[in-house]
Amino acid sequence: MTTLLAVAATVIAVLLALLGVASTAARRRIGVVHLAGAALLEAVLLVQAVVALVGLASGHRPPQTAAFLGYLAGAVLVPVAGVLWARTEPTRWSGTVIAVAALVVAVMVWRLVQLWNGTDG
Amino acid sequence: MGEPAERRPADTASGPGRVLVALYALFTLAAGARAAVQVATRFDEAPVAYLLSALAAVIYLMATIGLVRGGRTGRRTAMVACSVELAGVLVVGTLSLVDRAAFPDATVWSGYGRGYGFVPLVLPVLGLLWLRHLAELAAESKSVPPEV
Repeated sequence: MTTLLAVAATVIAVLLALLGVASTAARRRIGVVHLAGAALLEAVLLVQAVVALVGLASGHRPPQTAAFLGYLAGAVLVPVAGVLWARTEPTRWSGTVIAVAALVVAVMVWRLVQLWNGTDG
Repeated sequence: MGEPAERRPADTASGPGRVLVALYALFTLAAGARAAVQVATRFDEAPVAYLLSALAAVIYLMATIGLVRGGRTGRRTAMVACSVELAGVLVVGTLSLVDRAAFPDATVWSGYGRGYGFVPLVLPVLGLLWLRHLAELAAESKSVPPEV
């Protein structure tokens, strides 16, 4: 778990959310650019998951390990679920679905950092 | 950007409804996972708060199912779920601020959903507005005489 990866994921997620809102505002469906953004975000999340699992294997134990693993799995699944749910939507709201998924990821990665460091309440 | 969007007759899980379903599914998982971890690991500390988390998860699930299924029954299920949810977030939110001792550990609805960016407070309102909009559409289409 590194802050650098969390920052990278957040930047990509926020850009993807803006793209999603833009396509809704422009009354358009999502396009290749949204799928590419989601794929990039997913790639960063997978790298983060591998880093976290390596850390766990080498002995780091966050205070709430169960919650940490839940968030880790959830963060990896959210972009995939978001893309699947948005792609079958023919109205302009598909972009908003992508935006929601992206913002959820942005929140989840920082919760993961908190849980990893044991700095949450 | 993709192709121009279609405009098609509203359904509970289409258009803005699709965004609502995504949010409700997310909160079903969030509240459910939270309740599962809390009940499994430290139920004795704050049973009321943890059972409320579990109840919230069930209500979010009801709303999700209602919106996905649609039709008269689905809309009614979602309407009941959203109403209970709104009442829940208002009551629990108020109690959690007034009587902190009763809520030693947070639920999704504590402080009007402050821990979740107040989405739990906004979500039932959006849900009820969406359902009302759909009910109006349904009433309109019923009052138009069928073409011969």
